[in-house]
Amino acid sequence: MQFKINKITSALVASGLLLATHSAFAGDPDIEALRQTILDLDQKIKVLERKNEIAAEEAAAKKKETPVVVAGPTGFGIKSADGQFEYSLKGLIQLDYRHFDKPDHTTSADDGFTARRIRPTFQGTLFGKYDFRITPEFGETANNNATTSPSQNISRVIDAYVDARFDPAFKIRAGKFKPFVGLERLQGGGDIKFIERSYVSNNFLPNRGLGASIYGDVLDSKVSYAVGVFNGTADGGEETTRIDADNDKDYTARIFTTPFKGSDSVLEGLGFGIAGTYTDSATGALPSYKAPSQQLNFFTYNTGTVGDGSRVRVSPQAYYYYGPFGVIAEYARTSQEVRNAANTVNDTLKNDAWQIAASWVLTGEDASFKSVKPKNPFETGKDGWGAWELVARYQENSIDSSAFGTATTGVAARFANPTTSAKEAKTWGVGVNWYLNQWVRLATNYEQTKFDGGAGTFANIRDREDERILFSRLQFQF
Amino acid sequence: MKTITQHLRGAAVALALAAPLAASAADVTLLNVSYDPTRELYQDFNAAFSKYWKAKTGDNVTIKTSHGGSGKQGRAIIDGLEADVATLALAYDIDALYEKGKLIPKDWQKRLPHNSSPYTSTIVFLVRKGNPKNIKDWDDIARPGISVVTPNPKTSGGARWNYLAAWAYGQRKFNNDEGKTRDFIGKILKNVPVLDSGARGATTTFVERGIGDVLLAWENEAFLAQKELGPDKFEIVVPSLSILAEPPVTVVDKVVNKRGTRAVADAYLQYLYTEEGQEIAAKNYYRPTLESVAKKYEKNFPKLNLVTVDSEFGGWQKAQKTHFADGGTFDQIYLK
Repeated sequence: MQFKINKITSALVASGLLLATHSAFAGDPDIEALRQTILDLDQKIKVLERKNEIAAEEAAAKKKETPVVVAGPTGFGIKSADGQFEYSLKGLIQLDYRHFDKPDHTTSADDGFTARRIRPTFQGTLFGKYDFRITPEFGETANNNATTSPSQNISRVIDAYVDARFDPAFKIRAGKFKPFVGLERLQGGGDIKFIERSYVSNNFLPNRGLGASIYGDVLDSKVSYAVGVFNGTADGGEETTRIDADNDKDYTARIFTTPFKGSDSVLEGLGFGIAGTYTDSATGALPSYKAPSQQLNFFTYNTGTVGDGSRVRVSPQAYYYYGPFGVIAEYARTSQEVRNAANTVNDTLKNDAWQIAASWVLTGEDASFKSVKPKNPFETGKDGWGAWELVARYQENSIDSSAFGTATTGVAARFANPTTSAKEAKTWGVGVNWYLNQWVRLATNYEQTKFDGGAGTFANIRDREDERILFSRLQFQF
Repeated sequence: MKTITQHLRGAAVALALAAPLAASAADVTLLNVSYDPTRELYQDFNAAFSKYWKAKTGDNVTIKTSHGGSGKQGRAIIDGLEADVATLALAYDIDALYEKGKLIPKDWQKRLPHNSSPYTSTIVFLVRKGNPKNIKDWDDIARPGISVVTPNPKTSGGARWNYLAAWAYGQRKFNNDEGKTRDFIGKILKNVPVLDSGARGATTTFVERGIGDVLLAWENEAFLAQKELGPDKFEIVVPSLSILAEPPVTVVDKVVNKRGTRAVADAYLQYLYTEEGQEIAAKNYYRPTLESVAKKYEKNFPKLNLVTVDSEFGGWQKAQKTHFADGGTFDQIYLK
């Protein structure tokens, strides 16, 4: 309407009609009044248009400065208009039910519910290139992998680090974080295919370290590398945020390649690499190795046995994803120099573990290193059933046979007691994952473990009872 | 194991080796954050300074400029806009860089001549050709039916100068009766149909959008409008009393220290005071402060009775608090 009046007025002015009228009817008060009214109206319209113009300019300028609030599938957050600053809240909650077929090993192997992971995560970006992440853990266990009860609940900060992304090929991470070593360990706690990780992750390679890494992606992001230095932790252990117990450091290195990334080859989803750690310590803490339930230590060193000298871990690793099919394979060997409690015997023990796990998404979604994102989320009253995935895994954990005392040498002459610690654990497992949507997942696993030794007497060393476990999990991840 | 002394010695050798490389580094950029109507002035000045600096040092200096309402620009610097130099419309907006951001020292204004104002200006009226509403002085713009264009004093330095000039006139007319002065200012503000955020926006409103009978404008902005659009379209009316506007300049210490641009930033501002810098200011209708150049261009600038913020209002801090702070006289009158 305003536009039309303005156009008419402008046309009248432009055509000289008003001026002509002014000349022809000069002195006619009605015409003069009409002319003035039109001019006043013209001014009013121009003012309104200008106000709108200014309001639009101000709105556009404000939009450039207004932070963007995000509440969606990837969590909740706020981002500055220029994208240089970002803060977000994410979370992972896992509620498990554990059922043991024969809960006869330890009191901590009882059936029951447990909150395995309760992890809110605060993360963000500062100045476009500095990222930070803080994740407290209010869930079940202290992952120190030591002889203390594995089900001990210790609320703590599990991740607290800063990343400086100077270049895709040169990034620095410092703080408490997952060292760039284990393949399955580098999968998010909400992305792993089984309810618990394998022996390789839980018993051998470091879980969390306190230190710094330089890392990056090179050669068109087909090769990633990382080197790091950490206070150091026992096999499968998680460092605390306290000061280091000794002056010796763990050095880590990893190189991983995805040579067919970005191609249309059937090998596009292939990745493989190798990682390792090295330390040399006269007072190194030694681990206990857990059964898949994470509630039972099936191998523990004799009290007083310590790491004395170098510890080298080597871990070749690979994954392959093709359509709905995925497989991950990982091996780890720890060569650890140890000394017995009496300080009379030194030796180098070579313990190792490996796993191979396969997954198949029945509903056709692509498998990947991350969680499955259902094409048709489950909703009551609608057709979608989410995504269903079958998983199977075989894994082994072997202890160097020279670790154990014998009836002839006695327990104290070596480093472990074969009547209480098993020499080997072999586990197979199957499971099903139901991804209701990208945030909610139900999972059930059955795993059965056979042990070699770990019970009886020196005269008659027997195998420990098999561990048969049925785990179920309800997971929320956003 | 190396001692600390050995490490320091090694670092010194490395620095010494790197020094010739650093000395050959030749590309420098500066950001000048300025107020609205200085676009043309700094376009000319930047080109002249780049040439001068190249001849003097061999370095290439590229000067970027940012323009907007003076208050708004000052806040942008405080909020993190990395200005090497600030050339704003009034001292209060630069004071804020110290008060709110500690980006410059408190006595910044003493670092350059003329209270760090290399050029001055004043406030005049720009009217349509033939002055159809017969506007001669401040009384005329307070008349009913006169449409006055001026920007918002909350965001524009120019608008604050306009407001204070009108206030000074009112105080004299009504023998320092503040109530009557307020009524007088109220009548003027009632005639303002639209408040732009900056002086350049107000010029656009008046000149390009055809709104209003009179634009309260920086003298340089009025001359520029007349030059760009022709004296057949607009006339400049010089009121009986106006205010001496002293737009100041400063190096933003925290930024130049961080960026390592202090030397070139200092030279940039000092160049404004040279004969060439003053000539450029005068050609862009700013009143030069250098005697010789001022004399050369005196015919271009009408003589009029000018008050200063210091003498009339007790300085910018006091003027800001009394008139433009939240709840000040502008709010009381405009929002009434």
